[in-house]
Amino acid sequence: MVTVALDVEPTHTHKWIDAAAPTHPSLIDTMHVTDELFGFINIPMALWIDETGTIVRPAEGASIERSPLRDMEIPEGLPERMDRMFREVKAIPDVSDDYRAAIVDWAQHGAESRFVLSPDEVIARSQPRGDDEARAAACFELGEHLRRTVAPEAAVPWWREAHRLYPANWTYKRQAWTLVTTPEGAEDNDLMQGPNDVYEGNWLDDVIASGGGAAYTVVPQL
Amino acid sequence: MILTTLDSVTADAFAEHTGWAPKPEGLCRGEVCVPAPGSLRPDGTVDVAVAAQRLGMPVVRDAQHDVWAVGPATLGGRALATASAADPELITRDGNPFRLSALHGRKVLLVAWASY
Repeated sequence: MVTVALDVEPTHTHKWIDAAAPTHPSLIDTMHVTDELFGFINIPMALWIDETGTIVRPAEGASIERSPLRDMEIPEGLPERMDRMFREVKAIPDVSDDYRAAIVDWAQHGAESRFVLSPDEVIARSQPRGDDEARAAACFELGEHLRRTVAPEAAVPWWREAHRLYPANWTYKRQAWTLVTTPEGAEDNDLMQGPNDVYEGNWLDDVIASGGGAAYTVVPQL
Repeated sequence: MILTTLDSVTADAFAEHTGWAPKPEGLCRGEVCVPAPGSLRPDGTVDVAVAAQRLGMPVVRDAQHDVWAVGPATLGGRALATASAADPELITRDGNPFRLSALHGRKVLLVAWASY
């Protein structure tokens, strides 16, 4: 296994990587180029590459363990937005058992696994990419370059444009939102990514607008 | 791909950042080669405007800071034009470079996550 963190600030990943103490390569993609090159549009997602460097399953939503959040009772009396967030998270489809079984099958059977796709199928099942989606990638990368070399605020117009062009790309959005909603000095990135004065969107309202939790992930077609 | 000029990009740099290798027969990635006359100059540099047009890559410019970004190819209308995996240079937790090609000969489950 190889993990890649889609984080513009490598230091934001260190706590998590160090806690996991991985024995596999644990990489960081500070420009989100793996979105462009592999078709990631959200996290967690995964793709499979065989021994020859050929992709045998394109980027899909990837979980191997059911999140405890799904079975948790939503506490009474939560603020409205937080209550709604829990409901949308619980609505995200869970195919973790099946996906884990598919991975195991591939590990055991390799090219003979029924979950291995032909190159044509891999391409056909990869994320759609038209001019808007490609332009969004360029805008995100330009924004990140300016954030690093000029100032954080220099990224904002380009990241807003990326969000406008490619609303289905959640890494562009979540990355941008968390940088403005996380209080200065906070130990961890903000996960709520709520309404803010910098970007038009936020996690909850954008999820609802895109069809809710049920439409939030690229469900593996196993 | 971030550029300060569209005029002096080497073929190696273009391939490194886009996954498309400029060759005499065209712009190639895996088994796919797209004819692109004029994209590879005799001096080994790439005419980015020509290459981008042939691959359907958007080119975006920030005029204030005089910097360009070239987006990914849109051939075929999908994120992947080929099943041949790209091989970008990423960094490890300790900041060292790493390429997936170092794992050729092994199956790779590439899992994307984030701190947010």
